[in-house]
Amino acid sequence: MTDASPERDAAADGGHEVARGGDDHGHDFPGRGSIKRWFVTTNHKDVGILYVVTSLFFLVLGGVLAWLMRVQLLAPRALGEGILSPVAYNQTVSAHGLLMVFWFLSPFAFGFANYVVPLQLGAKDLAFPRLNALSYWLYLFSGILFGVSFFQGGTFSGGWTMYAPLNVPTFTPDVGASTAVLALVLFVASVTVSSVNFLTTMHRMRAEGLTLRNLPLFSWTILLTVWMMLFAFAALLAALLVLSSDRLLGTTYFAMESPAGALLWTHLFWFFGHPEVYIVFFPALGVMAEVFQTFTGRRIVGRKWFILAMVLVAIQSFAVWMHHMFLTSINLQVKTLFMITTIGISLPFDLMVFALIYTMLKGKIRFTTPFLFVFGALLLFIIGGITGVFLGAVVLDYEFRGTYWVVAHFHYVMVGGVTALVGGLYYWFPKMTGRMYDEFLGKLHFAVYFVGFNLLYFPLFVAWETPRRVFDYAPELAPWHQLATVGGFVLGLSFLIMFYNLFKSAFVGDPAPDNPWEHATTAEWAVSSPPPLENFDGTPTYRNGHLEFLDIGEVAQSEDRSGGPTGAAVSDGGVAASATTTVATALSTAEATEVEGPSHASIWPFVLSAGAFLVLLGLSSLQDAAFPEGMVGAAYATTAVAGGVVTLGSLVAMGLEPFHGPVFEEGEAWPFAGIDNGKVGMWIFLASDVVLFGGFIGAYVFTRVAFGWTGWEPIPPDPIPGLVNTYILLTSSFTVVLALVAAEKRHKWGVVTCLGATFVLGIGFLINKGLEWQHLFHEGLWLSTNVRASTFFLTTGLHAAHVIAGLLVALYLTARAWRGAYLEDSRSVEYFGLYWHFVDIVWLFLFPLFYIL
Amino acid sequence: MVTELMPAAAFPLQSGLVPRGTRAFVFERIFEVFLLLGTLVGVVVVGYMLYNAYRYRSGSGKGHVDEGNRLVLGELPSGSGGGRKLFTSFFMSMVIVVSLVSWTYLTLLYVEEGPADDESLDVEVEGYQFGWRFTYPNGHTTDGVLRVPADRPVQLTITTADVFHNFGITALRVKSDAIPGQETETWFTADEPGTYTARCYELCGVGHSYMSAEVIVMPPDEYEAWYANTTADNATANGSSADASVAASSAVAQSVAPQPSLRPAVVP
Repeated sequence: MTDASPERDAAADGGHEVARGGDDHGHDFPGRGSIKRWFVTTNHKDVGILYVVTSLFFLVLGGVLAWLMRVQLLAPRALGEGILSPVAYNQTVSAHGLLMVFWFLSPFAFGFANYVVPLQLGAKDLAFPRLNALSYWLYLFSGILFGVSFFQGGTFSGGWTMYAPLNVPTFTPDVGASTAVLALVLFVASVTVSSVNFLTTMHRMRAEGLTLRNLPLFSWTILLTVWMMLFAFAALLAALLVLSSDRLLGTTYFAMESPAGALLWTHLFWFFGHPEVYIVFFPALGVMAEVFQTFTGRRIVGRKWFILAMVLVAIQSFAVWMHHMFLTSINLQVKTLFMITTIGISLPFDLMVFALIYTMLKGKIRFTTPFLFVFGALLLFIIGGITGVFLGAVVLDYEFRGTYWVVAHFHYVMVGGVTALVGGLYYWFPKMTGRMYDEFLGKLHFAVYFVGFNLLYFPLFVAWETPRRVFDYAPELAPWHQLATVGGFVLGLSFLIMFYNLFKSAFVGDPAPDNPWEHATTAEWAVSSPPPLENFDGTPTYRNGHLEFLDIGEVAQSEDRSGGPTGAAVSDGGVAASATTTVATALSTAEATEVEGPSHASIWPFVLSAGAFLVLLGLSSLQDAAFPEGMVGAAYATTAVAGGVVTLGSLVAMGLEPFHGPVFEEGEAWPFAGIDNGKVGMWIFLASDVVLFGGFIGAYVFTRVAFGWTGWEPIPPDPIPGLVNTYILLTSSFTVVLALVAAEKRHKWGVVTCLGATFVLGIGFLINKGLEWQHLFHEGLWLSTNVRASTFFLTTGLHAAHVIAGLLVALYLTARAWRGAYLEDSRSVEYFGLYWHFVDIVWLFLFPLFYIL
Repeated sequence: MVTELMPAAAFPLQSGLVPRGTRAFVFERIFEVFLLLGTLVGVVVVGYMLYNAYRYRSGSGKGHVDEGNRLVLGELPSGSGGGRKLFTSFFMSMVIVVSLVSWTYLTLLYVEEGPADDESLDVEVEGYQFGWRFTYPNGHTTDGVLRVPADRPVQLTITTADVFHNFGITALRVKSDAIPGQETETWFTADEPGTYTARCYELCGVGHSYMSAEVIVMPPDEYEAWYANTTADNATANGSSADASVAASSAVAQSVAPQPSLRPAVVP
């Protein structure tokens, strides 16, 4: 899980300079040609390019797996026939789904989001640049970890949906399956870090005059996507942590014998899974809106309804998940409710489709490559959407369940989304590389792509009776599968045209002007291609109704709009986040004034991610909370420990590193006007942590209801230790508040004492809990004894892990306070306090649930 | 409530709005209507899209970019109006979708109601890795073959001995999840004697592709003759497959439980 305690320094130098073009910025920040640059960069544009390139690599990997499946499906295969054994086929199917949904789709979209959104907002970078680099490196290492899983006996083979109890070691014993789950956990860490960053940026760092209502549509879709991501991925993390615990520690949430374990998984997974499909589609929708406007020369029809429709979908997406569960044992009333919400969510999409179509009317449409792809995407999405209505009619879903109708439907909509994103790649390629791609090759790519797409997926509708994840099917359907296989190869090979085109053009394409596209209106086209390191000459503003750039002097004279800081620019110190612990960072003001301006480089995100990778790789071999015996086990254990050292070390290093984030003047900041970035980031992070605990508590309640609420005896025989712990935590929250008061009064020893007291109280909590657990173990109780024990130990254990993380931060803060920090700038203490109060409040829920009721 | 069964293909038009009859008949009716409407809507919308894309292509001279209202780089975004047309289309599509689905809801109620208990044959289905076991009212258990009489509703109670499966007979349009520790219920009526295939529709492990069973629909008198010759197995007369499932699950568990001596393969 992630913890983040954002930190910042107040730069007293009042925003003294801005990049005046060029790459180097006067620091020793390497140029774009050097390898080192790409390992240390924290600039959003570089990170965007890294995401795009890496995600395309995963597209190829997932695509090759799809080719293998399609070859297998050329004919119904008896046992022993075909190029893949059943074991291999199940892994191929699962890895294809996981790689495409997680490691390709969203990162591809977020490559563009990273590159373009700050430009559209008028920001010089994201709010927490090192976190941005961190989210990329965590993503890359999570993909590498997934790749490693193939070599540990075989990767996960239970489908990307990972249904229980197939997902527990009883039925999928390979170590690689655990590694795949852990790779996903690391990926979720990356996404959470990214969401906190984007949400803080998009709400806090918009240019003056750029209210949410005026935000360009691509930025709107990214804003909604990250809101959905924050909550949906927290729910997935809960599911994955419980699954990891079942696999590695031996808990029994999803075991075959556990009450409602299988249904628990389906609820947790699909509560995430449904918003996830909108998370992957929305950025494509944003690209469609931008590209339609640019190449028709018309403003989008019904823009405010378009935005309203998107907001509705984002909210509703959390209320439709049971339509994936119509054939489980849920009752008719619930099925009816979810049928209604599912049909309900299709309606805003209708409106958006019509809005896009009507935008063409009376325009002057130029069929450039981006427009061809986006137009094609809309067409494919319409077909996919119509077939989705079939699935929303429950009586039809009863028969479509587990068949290729579902497969064809979601490939039309999701790969339809990919089609739009490919259009986005062509659209922004000139901006990102400064060169034009070859237009003829682009159109050729579209033609081959579109033919291949429909040849691949349309026959799957005709052959819809084929069961999913099966390679022995009714022989009369074989011709359709053969067509589909041909289409699959055509579609895949069309990408070769694109790779060749873009690779060649990046070096020898025609130089691109600032704005190669007539009628493009968004801010990224107002700067050079590629933009200068800090994006803008001057500060962007829309105060007069259109984009202008002000010099710093003009900005300093602007009125105090919201009571927030004026003139004095606010910069961000480093922010640290990791999979295991937190470290707060702070520099005294004296140091800050010596540093020249925003930083752009840090090696620590890379090192931290490598450490996290090693930790999870080492842990993947655990079974029943023990490493395997012998050399192999020792190697794994050493890897985990080494990884832990690297992770902790890089967190401390990141904390101590002098790093300054982008300098900006608060423009539009609704609804967080006047609240600094670090605090907003912490609140947003805590919101996702709320959902994480919500998932765990929900899992407990669901299991207990299925078991029989009253028949379930609480695990601790005696609530007194829990009560004592409650008092300890409450007292420690009080001491944290006192520490903050002392810091604001610049009372050094007050700060040290109170922070130290918090630390000591926290240790007391852990010792008390340790004794309590020791007693329970002595009684013969263990995580795997029964599901009551599993839920108790894991949920309170997750809370204890949060306490441990907090204590590490408290230790760090105490040490720094000893040296006189936080007296000028007490924000670190404040953010820590917020986190600590959250941890306390969670305990106030856990205590009655697990000790008393 | 089903008061009579409609022969499957005999009446393409119903006397009522809601199709009633075998699961296959109900499904085909609704699917046909959806296909028709879906294709119609798809053709109209896509056709309209393509037509307008052609009509307003840049060289055609039909469209224009308003001189007074040109798109300007750096402008604050705004829409270009056209709200009325948008709302008309949206409203129409909403009416179509909502009425279509409301119609199917009535059918859902019919399907969920199911046949009358006194008429139907109750069979318990238990999935396991990788096959299907059927238990009849008299306690007789078969593995891999389900025999049912034609023209009589069959009510299935479905569960699993191990992982999540899904039991479906596609030709008869019946399907339901098989969930550990739970029972799901569904029903079907077959009106044509013959042999059909039941398959598994939820990924359940290495044998998933081959996890099938035969469904033999027999003329009623032949079925009665066959059934009269069957006897209960070691299951109780209640048809409870608890004993069988315990035996099966322990057998399955033994066959798939990890052997303690397995070492994970590690690439150095």
